[in-house]
Order: sequence, then C-alpha cells, then structure tokens
Amino acid sequence: MRRFIQTLSLLLFSILFIFATYRLPDWLFADLYLRFDPLLSLNAIFAAREIIPRTLWALLTIGVTLIIGRFFCGYVCPMGVSIDLLDHFFFRKKKRENPFRFESTLRKAKYFLLIFFISAAVVGLSLAFLFDPMAFLTRFYTFFIYPVIITLINLFLDLLRPLFHQLGWIYASHLHFPQPVFYMTAITLLLFGGIILLNRWVPRFWCRYLCPLGALLSLISPLGLLKRRVSEECNRCMRCRKVCPMGAIGENPRETYRPECIQCGTCSEVCPKEAVSFPISFSIGGEYSKVDLPRRGFFYSLSGGLIAGFLALQTPFRLRRGKLQLIRPPGAIPEDEFLRTCIRCGECMKSCLTNTLQPSLWESGLSGLWTPKMDLRLAPCDQNCNVCGKVCPTQAIRSLSLEEKNHAKVGTAILRKELCLVWAQNKICLICDEICPYNAIVFRPVEGYRRPVVIASKCNGCGYCEQRCPVSGESAIVVVPDGEIRLKEGSYQGEAKKLRLEFKPDPGDDKFILEEEGFKIEKENKPLPKTTPHPQKPKGFL
Amino acid sequence: MDPHQITRRDFLKATAIVTASLSGVSRLSISQAKEEYDLVVISGEPLPATQKALEALGGISRFVKKGDRVILKPNMSFARTPEVGATTHPLVVATVAKACVEAGAKQVLVLDHTLQRPELCLERTGIKEACKGLSGVHVLTVQERKFFKEVKIPKGKVLERVEVIQEVLENSVLINLPVAKSHSATGVSLGIKGLMGLIWDRESFHSRYNINQALADLATLIRPQLTILDATRALTSGGPGGPGEVKKLNLVIAGVDPVAVDSYGVSIVPWYGQNFKGHQVEHLLVAHQRGLGRIDIDQLRILKEKA
Repeated sequence: MRRFIQTLSLLLFSILFIFATYRLPDWLFADLYLRFDPLLSLNAIFAAREIIPRTLWALLTIGVTLIIGRFFCGYVCPMGVSIDLLDHFFFRKKKRENPFRFESTLRKAKYFLLIFFISAAVVGLSLAFLFDPMAFLTRFYTFFIYPVIITLINLFLDLLRPLFHQLGWIYASHLHFPQPVFYMTAITLLLFGGIILLNRWVPRFWCRYLCPLGALLSLISPLGLLKRRVSEECNRCMRCRKVCPMGAIGENPRETYRPECIQCGTCSEVCPKEAVSFPISFSIGGEYSKVDLPRRGFFYSLSGGLIAGFLALQTPFRLRRGKLQLIRPPGAIPEDEFLRTCIRCGECMKSCLTNTLQPSLWESGLSGLWTPKMDLRLAPCDQNCNVCGKVCPTQAIRSLSLEEKNHAKVGTAILRKELCLVWAQNKICLICDEICPYNAIVFRPVEGYRRPVVIASKCNGCGYCEQRCPVSGESAIVVVPDGEIRLKEGSYQGEAKKLRLEFKPDPGDDKFILEEEGFKIEKENKPLPKTTPHPQKPKGFL
Repeated sequence: MDPHQITRRDFLKATAIVTASLSGVSRLSISQAKEEYDLVVISGEPLPATQKALEALGGISRFVKKGDRVILKPNMSFARTPEVGATTHPLVVATVAKACVEAGAKQVLVLDHTLQRPELCLERTGIKEACKGLSGVHVLTVQERKFFKEVKIPKGKVLERVEVIQEVLENSVLINLPVAKSHSATGVSLGIKGLMGLIWDRESFHSRYNINQALADLATLIRPQLTILDATRALTSGGPGGPGEVKKLNLVIAGVDPVAVDSYGVSIVPWYGQNFKGHQVEHLLVAHQRGLGRIDIDQLRILKEKA
C-alpha cells in the first residue's frame, strides 16, 4: 500500500515535471509539489515579506499533517521515495548498525538547519533551497535526469533509425529531441549521489538528520491523530526497532518518538505478534512527543542564520552585484525582491522552451546561487513562450500573458563593432537583422557599406541576434541588462509605453533607406552627415 | 474550417477532368502541349489559385508519377502566422501535397530546416495543421546535422561542397513552394533563396562567401522540378522574418524555370516601396548568367488567369 502510494507520488512528480514545457495548459500546475512544500512557502513569505498566494497551498500540507501526522515523508515526498528506491537497489543487503554515538545529537541537526534557514529568511536571505527536498529534487531532475534522459532517448533513436528507414516510418526516422544543456549537471549529481550514499550507514540518513522540511513537519506531527500503538502482546523481540527506517522506536519498543515517526507501518509489518497498530488517538503530549532542543544549539543556529542573512545582504556585496548584473528571465521582479523570493527549484529552467535559462553560480554572490539567468549566446528567448512565469511557484518570475511578457524587456542588444563581420570586415552579413523578431536592427550606410545598427527602443533583449551571430566564440552583438524593465506589479505594456518603447514595429524601419535626399530617422533630428555613396536602393538590389 | 477548403468531391472531379483530358496522350506530348507557357500566373485565393496553377501547368502528374517520392519545400522557417507573410500559406502547401498524393506519390515530405524552434514553426505557420489527415504526407523539420549529407557542387564557383538534407539528394521530385518576401541581404527571398532551407550551414553564406554567388552555386546543385511561388501575400519590407508591410496580392506563380518564376516575382510588387526588375536582384542575375534560367520576363510566354 505504502509502496503503491509512493510510486504514484514519484510518478506524479515526474509527470508534472515532463509537462512543464511551453505547451503547459493553464489548468495544470506543474509546480504543484513545490507549492505544497511548507518550508519553501515559509522561506519565501519571510524573505519576500509578503503573502505570496501560490505558497498558501502549503497550508494544505500543514493541515493534513495536523490531522494525520508526518505522513508526508513516508508517502508523498518524492525525495523520500527516491531515497527508499535507491536504498533498495544499493544497500538492501548491507548490515547497518547505527555507527553514530551521537545519534540523538545528530538528529537535532535538521532542527538547527531549519532554524538557520528560517532566521536567514527573516533577515531577507533565501537559503532554504540548499536543503529543501522539493527544490533539491526538482533541481536534480532538471540539471541531471532531464538532459541525460534526452541523450539516452536520442541514442536509442539513432540505434533504431536504420530499422525505421526500412519500415518507412518517416516521422520516427527523423525524430530527434533537442538536447538540453545545463551548467550544473555534475555538481547536482554529486550532491544527490552524496545524499544516497549516506544511506550506506543509516537508512534515510537524509530524512533523519538533515531534512529541514522533515524537521518542520515533525514539529507539528505529534498533534496528528494517527499514532503508533503497541499492544500487550509485544514480546520485545526488537524487530520493529531494527527495521524502523527513521529510528523512531525507543529502547522500549512500545515507545515511539512521535516527531520522527513517518507512519510507514514497517514496524507493524514485521511484528510477529501483530501487536503494532496505528489507531486514531487524541492523546497529546508525553515525553516522546517533545522535540528537545538544547538552548545553546538553538541560539547558535538562530544567530547564525541572522548573521549570515545580514552579512549576505550588506552593501559591499550588493554594490558588486549592481555592477555585474545578470540578464534575468522576462517578468522577473526587481533584483532584490527576486533574490529573496526565488527558491531555486529550477522549474523555470526545465520548462524553458529554448534552454536559455541557466543556473547562475557565484555571479551574483552567494545570495544568487542557482538563480535563473539567461544565456543568450546559448539560446534566445522565444516570443511565443511565457512558461517560466507560469511554473514559478513563488512568482519571482511573474506569470504573464504573451503580450505582456514580450514587453518585459530584459536588456538591450549592443553591437560590438570590432567583432562584427560587417563593421570590421565589410562582409555582407545580416543574420542579426534577419532573425530579429522586432525589426530592432536596421542597416545604415556608413563608409560606403550598409551596416547594422540597433534601435534600442525596439529591442526587448530576446537575444536572437546574440545567439545567431556567425562570429565564432563571443557574439558581435550582445544583450546587456541596460534598459531592462523589472516590475513587481502593474503592466509591462503600460511601462513600455511610458518609456516610449515599441516592440511591435511599424512596417520596417527600412523605409528610411528610400528617401531620395538621404536618410533621416525622425523629422526633428538633423540629417546625419552625408556619406558616400548615397543610398538609392534598399540593400540587396543592384 | 476554412470556407475555401475544397471538398473531396471537388477534388476528385478536378482530378478526374485532368486525368481524362490527359489520358491516352503520351507523356512527351503532354509536356509539349503544356510547355506552351513558361509561367502561369493565377490570381485568386490560396487554394483555388494553387489548384488552377497546377491545372494550367498540365496537372501535377506532369511532374509526379505513381510511386514517386515528392519533397515539398515551403518556407516555414519562422514561427509566424500566415498573415505576417514570412512563411508559405498553409493552404498552398496542403493543396500541392494533396495533388501529389492523388497523383500517386508514394510519399510526400514537407521539409524545411527552420531558423526558429521547429515545434513552434510547425504550429504557428499552420502548415502542420493544414496537412493533417493527408495520408502519405509528412511535415518535418530537419534540424540535426546527422540528417544532412555533404556533397560536391561540380559547378560551384565559390561554394564547392555543401551539406544537404539527405532525402533531397536521393531520387525524388522536388517542388519548391517559396513565399514572396523581402530580404535585407538579397533584396528578395523567393524560390532560389528558399533553397537555403535545405542545407545545414547557412551562416557561412553570410560570413564566408558572397551570398549571391553562393546561392547561384547552390541552385546549380539543387534544381526543383517545379517552383510555385506563393504571392497571395507579399512581405514587401521587414523580410525575411517580418513583421513588415504585407501586401495582399492574391497571386500564385508557377513554372519549371526557377529563375523565371523568381524574376516574375520581383516584378509583381514594389519592394521597400520601389519597383525592381529581376536582373536587379544579384543572385537572380548571377543564376541567369550561369545558365540556370531566363530572367527577362518580357520574353516569356505567360498565362495569366483568374481562379
């Protein structure tokens, strides 16, 4: 039964993950698991200092935990399922005597982590993502599982391709999935592998000692109605104590450490006397229900979180960040709020149609670790896609309509003339102009050649030009954050209008080329200095 | 449902008439009979105009025989809706595809190597949707190098080798279905420019070679048996990707001579607000000089009709 629910949960998690693409229907919440996560919600609400509607879904988890207990870890948590599954594969036959003499101290680590993260969040530093299982697993799926699976599928397709050809299956013989690429694949694998490896010593090591979400739930789970009870039949064979994956059974096997119990029922399965049951009970309290935290540890973790948060947000770091701004996804709220609100789950990067969204490492400091940035040399941002906002569980990237999203300017393209084939080498290249969806690049005659120029007011920073530029290595046209529009609320279209930006170009600025007496950009402007030869015909005609 | 969608019955009727009129005549004499025109220019809505154009050329069976594999090369390189004018009208593509199937084609591949994300291009251009339900018709984008094959261009002057979509090199009928649009490097992008959608490395046309010479080289290698230019709308500025000025011309221009079709296409509308002739477009002029087709449209026998 439990295995079944667990499998179902992991399946649901994976399916939602797969559905997180630009085709995501509006009624499907691809970020469901992240929304249900009370730790992420608390973290985001404290750090952002506002109630984020989507995070309120977590109240459901809290409510159910209050009623049932810490079922979440044993039945729902996809990280728990992954740990159980891989444990079964790798360490099933291993004899694991708990080697830790400081077991009970170690157990408190998760509470200290929880306190640390929450107090850091209160100061305004979002850190819970480091250890939150939902964010962690989504990241692992995004940066590792997803690209690897695509690679394997493509290899498999390549293998079968001759067969498809023989069978005349046209579609199948041309099938190939675009390969996603992420910067953090290896790191993520190491971290995840590490968590699994810890099982070698203790089953569910992560859940017992480290998981701050588990810690949060365990604080309220003793209030739950379903509690483990052992009847008089018990002959103290201690089997239940040996198999309990959470180590929640005391020296006296009739006693249960309630905060640790995830109600998996393994104990009742192995009990030869069938003495273990999980009936409804209204009794609250008892010495095994308490979470006993030493004051010193509490104080250390609390002040640690406060200090870490305070330091990370201090001016020197902030100044540096201001100078080294990244290109954020369209709809990302202003940088300070963005860093506080983003929970680094990687869902936006997974769903990104073009794979332009990449995790940042230290580019914007510790407080920006794993936040999404656009790598426009790798891929552009497509104007037909707005999925990153749709799937963002904390709305650090706002969910916008396509029209709105296309007005959320992320930066401005600038030409680096010394690299540009046309400017530097007089070649006939127009790829940036050809691909620009907004006609923001025009050709102007300079020194006898028509050369590309960016009209900043028409550029929304989508990066098609940067990605397509045929110059090898660095692009000759790059998007810089200058001119980006970051709004916490309100309309991007309205803002763009105020700033006199126009992302729906009038039919071709190319018109200017045709004026007989040279070319003018606007009537009130002085005509630019005359250049020879005089433009008579549009580019490309003899 | 599009009001201009032909019913199956209409189609069968048309096919029957064409088939009947051609029956008993040897292939050679058909082509002679129909080669009295170098170009057919039909005005009308995309679907009837395309049908009429095929008819006027002597029916698709002049080009497509039973059991043939046909490759249609529309322009679906941009994720734009048909109104933007950057891509071939879906009904033009579907009509030709359907005609090929009716003519007994074993397989009809609608191919392009797109510039933007392929799945979006297929969706937004409407071409995939329009060809849905036509059995034997496959709409594909070819985005991976492994589906291309490098070949020599024997007559190439600047471009000596090029990687082309494999299927195009194999024994098959190639029908080019370009859309009429402006182009910021080559002036216009019609049939010959559209051939760049069949090769792997387009960047080098801009960065390494003289694009006009390279296009002519490519045209010596890839020679469509038929070119049907969709000028139902023309993107007369802001091309090739748009958005730009779109003129509704309601024309379909078809012929076997790729240079002649393109040259005529140049003359039908002012580009960027100015009138041009085919020989003012460098890649067409070069292609003409290399003997790939006729550029002087005054010398051509042209059938102009309404659909």
